[in-house]
Amino acid sequence: MAQPPTHHRRDTISALTLLAPAMILFGAFILLPLMQTFAWSLYRYEVFGGVKEFVGLDNFAKLAGDEVFGIALINNLKFAVLSVVLQVGMGLVLAALLDRGVRRFKVVYRTIIFAPILVSTAAVGLLWSLILNPSIGPVDDWLGLIGLSAPRNGLLGEPAFAIYGVIFVGAWQYTGFMMVILLAGMQNVPEETYEAARMDGCKGLRAFFHITLPTIRNVIITCCLLTVIGAFKVFDLVYVLTNGGPGNATEVLASYIFRNAFEFGQIGYANALSVVFLAIAFVFGLIQFRMIRR
Amino acid sequence: MSELSINGLRKSYGATEVLHGLDLEVSGNEFVVFVGPSGCGKSTFLRSIAGLETISGGSMTIDGADISGLEPDRRGVAMVFQNYALYPHMTVAQNMGFALRMAHVPKAEIARKVREVAEILQLEPYLDRRPMDLSGGQRQRVAIGRAIVREPKVFLFDEPLSNLDADLRAHMRLEIIKLHRHQKGISIYVTHDQVEAMTMADKIVVMRDGNIEQVGSPLDLYNEPVNRFVAGFLGTPRMNFLDATSTGVANWRLGLKVGGMTLSPPIRPDADALPEAGAPLSLGVRPDGWRIVAEGDGLAGRVVHAEQLGRETVVFIELEHGPQVAMIQPGQYRLHSDDAIWLAPAPDELHLFDASDAALPVARIPRTNSHN
Amino acid sequence: MKSLAFFPRTRRMAIIMHLFLLGYVAVILFPLSWVVIGALKTNREMFLDPTGLPADPNWGKFIEAWNAGVRDFFINSVVVSGVSVALIVIASALAAYALTRMNFRYSGWVYLLTVLCFAIPVHAVLVPIYGLLSDLHLLNTHLGLILPYAAFGLPFSIILMYSFFYEFPAELEEAGKLDGCGPWRRLWFVVLPLSRPVLISVAIFNLVGVWNEFLLATIIMTSKHMQTLPLGLVSFRDQYGTDWPGTLAAISIGSLPLLVLFVIFQKYFVRSMAGMGK
Repeated sequence: MAQPPTHHRRDTISALTLLAPAMILFGAFILLPLMQTFAWSLYRYEVFGGVKEFVGLDNFAKLAGDEVFGIALINNLKFAVLSVVLQVGMGLVLAALLDRGVRRFKVVYRTIIFAPILVSTAAVGLLWSLILNPSIGPVDDWLGLIGLSAPRNGLLGEPAFAIYGVIFVGAWQYTGFMMVILLAGMQNVPEETYEAARMDGCKGLRAFFHITLPTIRNVIITCCLLTVIGAFKVFDLVYVLTNGGPGNATEVLASYIFRNAFEFGQIGYANALSVVFLAIAFVFGLIQFRMIRR
Repeated sequence: MSELSINGLRKSYGATEVLHGLDLEVSGNEFVVFVGPSGCGKSTFLRSIAGLETISGGSMTIDGADISGLEPDRRGVAMVFQNYALYPHMTVAQNMGFALRMAHVPKAEIARKVREVAEILQLEPYLDRRPMDLSGGQRQRVAIGRAIVREPKVFLFDEPLSNLDADLRAHMRLEIIKLHRHQKGISIYVTHDQVEAMTMADKIVVMRDGNIEQVGSPLDLYNEPVNRFVAGFLGTPRMNFLDATSTGVANWRLGLKVGGMTLSPPIRPDADALPEAGAPLSLGVRPDGWRIVAEGDGLAGRVVHAEQLGRETVVFIELEHGPQVAMIQPGQYRLHSDDAIWLAPAPDELHLFDASDAALPVARIPRTNSHN
Repeated sequence: MKSLAFFPRTRRMAIIMHLFLLGYVAVILFPLSWVVIGALKTNREMFLDPTGLPADPNWGKFIEAWNAGVRDFFINSVVVSGVSVALIVIASALAAYALTRMNFRYSGWVYLLTVLCFAIPVHAVLVPIYGLLSDLHLLNTHLGLILPYAAFGLPFSIILMYSFFYEFPAELEEAGKLDGCGPWRRLWFVVLPLSRPVLISVAIFNLVGVWNEFLLATIIMTSKHMQTLPLGLVSFRDQYGTDWPGTLAAISIGSLPLLVLFVIFQKYFVRSMAGMGK
């Protein structure tokens, strides 16, 4: 539609005014830092504000041989896969039970199951670190009751087990969140569809598998994505529960970036790690966007 | 030839009864339409037959076998839903074959039946598409196809055309009737649209407040409504009702006073209960039952508005003694607002209702009905 | 009325389902109640019988914890979350409105930029943000946390509001135009009042995110009196490590505010969080 140019200009000015706050924040806190991350990943940079020495791709070369980086990456992968199984799997079971299973106390169940997401992950980490603490927590006693001897430093002090403990605590917190999303998806399936299914002789769990799951497919995919993205971003749980230990057994990418930048004084190397992290997160982020916009 | 028989069917939600003991017999290849205003229970009735609602009393049989306790898929019925209720994640072919798949019919046979039905419905080019990629009319045909594939004894339709635009609706009406003739089974069709009822039905079931008011062929119901509700529900514009008073019976004629006009229609030979002099009655005249008469001969009125449709003229008239009535005259009448006009009902177009709204088959001489 | 159930509607099945759910609920509630009950116990009781009830409940620990720092953490959290959520809601509404409703030539590009920012996690730019805030002397200030929170909360909020405004009926705004409203007044009198559900959703999920945020807070708020709750609780443990009941009391009262809000505004919370799955 052809409009007089003055109109157009006025609209452009209004639009820019409305967009300004968001654009300034994006520029200053996302885009500019992003450039710096890329740039600094090419430097040896050890003290904030200190000397930067250009080293090209050395930091990335170092990555390849860094054993801890490998541990972190594998831990993130374990986190992602097991979280999807635990959170989305259990979330589906719970949502199915609340959607077309039990008929009473649904709101009570939903409220309680959802609640952990509202406790900060740091507090969740703290509380589980205390419960799993061998001297004051009950879990070691329980293990004793069923004839298992708990490791001396507690379950989280056991290198082979610690990461699974962290993953379990993550699932404890986030499963309710997944359940709420999945339940909302299930409640959007029209009643008529289920009636048609009944007419077609499909009911009970068959309807769950033949009708419900395929219909909410996109919601399930979104949940998996949210979980995977969350698994790659995990930091607070690890920081509070194990601080990456014992040794480096529970190191994840985020904690390793943090440690390099703020504990080891390896700022350049931390930025190289960030670039790798970014590449992973960016891909999942874009897929997630595709899902929201459908 | 199938036979559906319903006896004393009741349905309650908690303490509220919504269907009050319905009886209905349908046989052969009848196309039955349940019609009534919203909330009259017609959908609940249909869904009870489908098995989607558990009934609280009465019985239902198809071909003599009691179906009241059976699961929907065991009843030999199939249903076409208002919003189609197609499975969005399945292709057209999968949608149509789903019931057979659930019944563990061999794959080859499912494919054969689906193709057969798709051919009847001209859906072959769309078999691999998903419902999302189809137009409203195509989805409707898939929904019908899904029902046909199961070869049910009774087809149930729950307001299936209400989401289509007027043109497509008229077209689909005809398609459904053609299919019904082709399929040879009972069809039960729910609608709130009396035009659909009149145009499609072999047998109309008029419902109100959880009761069946009248069952019969469209013309039976149009010509011989048993009460004022049925009379007012069928036909557009609606039947006009005017307050009338009986002046008694004389010489095989019934005296009536309506507004400033007196009428004395002949009494039907088979009439039994005749209104006493002074009894308040309601006189019903269909819009096409008016005749324009000479000045001073009938009821005086003024034209409010005339709809010039070409083939006919629909005139809304405010009568001198108060009520507004509608009149249809074939052909073209160049009437204008405020034109004075005199009307009288044609003698064989009188419907009379007593104080309890029941029809009094007193005066009207029945039209000969070629339908029987 | 749900006409189809996934499980047989028998008494036995109902009992099994309830038992399953009760078991799950117990797994959720046990740790939470253990924390609260633990706060009432003495250190000695904690060691001797981790799951037992206190002989003489000591409510004083909650007050002690509150005064020993939780109050400051709470105030910091309220200030930081309140301001950044307000900023996010306002800035995202304005931006989404400009992108959908104005005749702006570069809308497409700006939207693309927003999506780009959405896919960038804060972890990847941690170091430069620290450097930037240090240069601006914003470390250990409320504003230093508010600004990056707002920046990282905005992309998803804009995307959500964008799709809401996109489907918002144009007729309503045209009616406003005919009634003589300019773009600002249309936004204020017509669009925003009708956008309440999406505004509330955006506010809630950002509140949950920001209130519980840990990573940025860790690097920016290094001095203890500026810390927000999640951070403060951890440093509380590190400082009063052996006073277990005190730590548990701090965790309890520190976790309470959002849970209370949730119970009061449950409907909105559930709708907002469930909306993430869209």
